[in-house]
Amino acid sequence: MAGPGSIALVDVNCFYASAERAFDPALEGRPLVVLSNNDGCAVTRSPEAKALGIPIGEPWFKLAPRAKEWGLVARSSNYELYGDISARVMELLGRYSAWLEVYSIDEAFLGVKGTPEELQRQGIAMKTAVRRNIGVPVCVGIAGTKTLAKLANKWAKHNPAFDGVCHWDAVPAAQRERLMAGLSVIELWGVAARLTKRLNGQGIHSVLDLARADPVRIRDRFSVVLMRTVLELQGTPCIPLEEERIGRDQLIFSRSFAAPITTGTALRQVLSVYAQQASARLAKHGLQAKVLTAFAATSAYNPQGSVHPSVCVTLPMPTADPVLLARAAHALLPQIDDGVRYAKAGIMVTDLRPSGQQAPLAAFANPHEERGIGPLLEDISRRYGRGSIGLGHAGLRHGPDWTMKRGMMSPRYTTEWAELPVVKAM
Amino acid sequence: MGVIIGPRVIDAGTSLLSVLISPVPVAAGYPSPAQDYFDGRIDLNAHLIKDITSTYVVRVSGDSMDGAGISDGDELIVNRALEPRDGCVVVAVLDGELTVKRLSLTATGVVLRAENPRYPDIRVPALSDLVIWGVVTRCLHHV
Repeated sequence: MAGPGSIALVDVNCFYASAERAFDPALEGRPLVVLSNNDGCAVTRSPEAKALGIPIGEPWFKLAPRAKEWGLVARSSNYELYGDISARVMELLGRYSAWLEVYSIDEAFLGVKGTPEELQRQGIAMKTAVRRNIGVPVCVGIAGTKTLAKLANKWAKHNPAFDGVCHWDAVPAAQRERLMAGLSVIELWGVAARLTKRLNGQGIHSVLDLARADPVRIRDRFSVVLMRTVLELQGTPCIPLEEERIGRDQLIFSRSFAAPITTGTALRQVLSVYAQQASARLAKHGLQAKVLTAFAATSAYNPQGSVHPSVCVTLPMPTADPVLLARAAHALLPQIDDGVRYAKAGIMVTDLRPSGQQAPLAAFANPHEERGIGPLLEDISRRYGRGSIGLGHAGLRHGPDWTMKRGMMSPRYTTEWAELPVVKAM
Repeated sequence: MGVIIGPRVIDAGTSLLSVLISPVPVAAGYPSPAQDYFDGRIDLNAHLIKDITSTYVVRVSGDSMDGAGISDGDELIVNRALEPRDGCVVVAVLDGELTVKRLSLTATGVVLRAENPRYPDIRVPALSDLVIWGVVTRCLHHV
């Protein structure tokens, strides 16, 4: 290792809401929620919406009647916009470090180096550049380990004194302990509710309790994973930066429908589309899947009782071929009864491996892959837009009625020429 | 059309013959004298956009910037990374709306000017009282 490095976690504050505001300044200062697929429930809340006491995941139908009185604005998820803004943020952050791990749509870990003063300056520079050049606010947490960088980022966000940038080592030890003592372990990266309960049973309540625990005892009583968290809290890096996250062991394509699906024919279309999406995603990451699971479900509130048909198909060989994936997904269809109202369906591919790892025997070579059907579909979609071509049942000119409902969507400002932001000259 | 043949490169190490594909289709045996000079077509993105991550395209609504050659319906290329300077055309936030104006930094304060006598100037005490959304670098005017 070339000198002691630190890790910065940069993440966008209330990402979806901030992306909306970047192009619509009238939303600044107003309570704003961004809704999940099909305008179901609030997945992002602006600070003003949080101040109204709106909980995360609150269904929109409960909020809508009071929206006017509160001045609350809702937006449908504008995935095109968020995807582009995310890509811009990551590209810009990449200029500050050769070592960037995109952790999610709105956060990235970066490898950084320097004296405490230099690190603080780098953090401020990143925060200022993303805000000014792209238009969304970020917070930066810098520390010796990923777990601490996450923690520092949380404080940067919630404690105005840090002004959006918190360098862990620059915080006096007594203050760090006070902050950790006031934070429940559930706030920690990778610690879920069930684990929190078990920890509480052992007398470990705050982050400080866990940081002071014996790592070996934690490993024996809980897991190696939690031991790493303890070590990271104590300042020993155990979770390395990864440039491209491999070990992501599954891809899921699933969605609730705007209107229930009631026929096998319609469900066949849905599965074909998901298979095509899965194929494209696999190809992009140079992966092939060996196992495909297809599933459907009725609403949990279905008066006739809910059903959850699913099928797991082991593919004849690891593949990213859309034809093979679609055929495998269609194995669900015999379980689908016409007239039943399916509210959701999806496919999941697992057992992923790098493509070309194992050459198939000639007899099992796949003609579709050789003819490059997957890349061809991708190429055409890229050139003529999503939905311009599809495989068999997925190839529909008009959006079938099960596509997502996005009734309150802002324009796709940065990806559609017809929907550019409008500037007033009057 | 003949076979596409370009300069050949022989990799001495492996004796593999690889063929570089020329962008200009030529009849076999008669290589075009132009192909050695081909260096890619003009790329508007490369010429018009300096920093793609900081650049947005916006559409103009209204005639207040006519005098600057910016008409209703034109598209503007806006770079958010640039420092707003005196004389720049900028997109500023006014009353919650994105508005295009000429920025004038004077000793007595900041003026946002329209480029059309029918629209009044807007004065603010200091640049810090303004939200400048970005600096306009190009106008894609419809002729």
